[in-house]
Amino acid sequence: MMTEADYYALFEAYAHGELAGPARANFEARLAADPALALRYADFTELTGTLRAYGQRQNTRQKLQGLHAAMLAAETPEEQSTEAAAEKSPLTHTVNPMLRISRTERVLREFWNGHRATMGVAASVAVLAVFATLLGLEWWRAAKTQPSMYGYTVLKREVERIKKSQKDLTLTLNQFGRPGTTPPTAKESSGTGFALTSEGYLVTSYHVIQGADSVLVEGNDRKRYHAEPVYSDVKHDLAILRITDKRFTGFGRLPYAIKAGQADLGERVYTLGYPREDVVYGEGALSARSGFQGDTAFYQVSIPVNPGNSGGPLLDERGNLIGVVSGRQNDAQSAAFATKSSYLVRLVDSLAATKPAVPYHLPRYGQLAGSARPQQLKKLKDYVFVVKVFE
Amino acid sequence: MSRGNPTSSSLTPTDDALITAIRSGDERALAHLYRLHWPMVSHFVLQNSGTEDDAQDVYQEGVMVFYEKVRDGSLELSCQIKTYLYAVCRRVWLKRLTSKSRFGVRLVDDEEHGPYLNTGAEEDLLAAEEQDRRFDTMSEALNHLGEPCRSLIEGFYLLDKSMQDLTAEFGYTNADNAKNQKYKCLVRLKKLFFTHYKEESI
Repeated sequence: MMTEADYYALFEAYAHGELAGPARANFEARLAADPALALRYADFTELTGTLRAYGQRQNTRQKLQGLHAAMLAAETPEEQSTEAAAEKSPLTHTVNPMLRISRTERVLREFWNGHRATMGVAASVAVLAVFATLLGLEWWRAAKTQPSMYGYTVLKREVERIKKSQKDLTLTLNQFGRPGTTPPTAKESSGTGFALTSEGYLVTSYHVIQGADSVLVEGNDRKRYHAEPVYSDVKHDLAILRITDKRFTGFGRLPYAIKAGQADLGERVYTLGYPREDVVYGEGALSARSGFQGDTAFYQVSIPVNPGNSGGPLLDERGNLIGVVSGRQNDAQSAAFATKSSYLVRLVDSLAATKPAVPYHLPRYGQLAGSARPQQLKKLKDYVFVVKVFE
Repeated sequence: MSRGNPTSSSLTPTDDALITAIRSGDERALAHLYRLHWPMVSHFVLQNSGTEDDAQDVYQEGVMVFYEKVRDGSLELSCQIKTYLYAVCRRVWLKRLTSKSRFGVRLVDDEEHGPYLNTGAEEDLLAAEEQDRRFDTMSEALNHLGEPCRSLIEGFYLLDKSMQDLTAEFGYTNADNAKNQKYKCLVRLKKLFFTHYKEESI
């Protein structure tokens, strides 16, 4: 009985051609006849073949590494010689700085070579994200402010619509009462004005008569007069009108005095105006002695005002005129602004100095002090007018 | 080499001469070949986010495939050696990159190396990889074999030492004893090798 090792001895002898003639023929015959033996022999050849190839592979690898080392060694002397040359003339360092790459720099270079694509992608993503965020924020802010603007315009239209229907109603009523009057057809806007002197000078806001073709003044008694702008002070939003109608005879004595000084914070103030076809009373307090964005020519008052209130008189408790209603701040609660009366006085003084055809006689003393508010208003409303402007 | 006849895609006379020289075991021819194409592969690997060491590995792998094919006499070149080496090394490096990277890999190629597809490099490389696997298994089996079998086998088959040298080295009384020991070791190695190898190939 042969052990496996015995077989291997036989195989090796055969493979090396050490078997003599008859033994060899005998072995080959057995190999052909016995498949198990043939398989065993195949395994043996594969094993030894692989072993030898493996040895060769290791040899080759060593050889190649040797070649590589030799190649590098063949290159290095040149570098060394250049370095040696470089040491002789220090200028070469700057001429050829690649010769000395520090360890850190080499690591950095390798990192850069290995990851530049990733870093590029990351950088572009970051840039995109930043811009998308900025744009998104901007868009979001725009979208957020849109509703308030929208609400604002709607509110305005609503007011206009109510005004219009109100006006239609009044007109119908007017026509019913007095069929002779015909409403003017041209584009019109309106504000409030009040008497400045008994000779027929009126005050309103500049923005009321801005771009006016003709100006019509209508009192509480429905009397209408033609008027013309005499002077405009754009900066303080003031305008002075004069009634030019022939049938106008004068206002008579004005019930209020115009205050030349400043009013105090917290004074109770009120106004009369024409935000609609009827005169409307509004009351509040003087909440600041400066106007929109700190403009010292204006007061801030806490009176709810509406379009049409512009140019209305602002009076204190004793019935002194302390200002002219000018405008309001949209994004603040009931913050209205009025031009200080001191500016009006100064303006009138400078106008009077030019010796106009019709002189200015400002009312010096008021008649309202001490009377109750309804009595004050009763006297006052005859001197407050609708200023209708046709463009 | 290819510079003399750049339009020809088939073998140039110098290519032929080189292959013949290498087949006959001329070390200087191999060294010449090695030095000749190293810059190309090194540049390629460095350009594609590899290091100097990577380049050396890849290039040696490539030259190994080429060299073994040449020694076998089984090399069938349909292009220049340069292109063949480029194709093999490119393939090797692509494989390593893909296994390293989670993303798809795009290689930057040098246009001048021409069509590196259909050079037969793919199949040669596949065969070489199969061979590699076999060698890995063998190395594993040898590691498990234990002393003195391992040294004996390695001495005889890998280092080509004669039986007489080994007998003396391992202190056997005569060559026959050493031989018997060697056969026994071979049987054990065979078991280790084939169980591993067959298992892995399934």
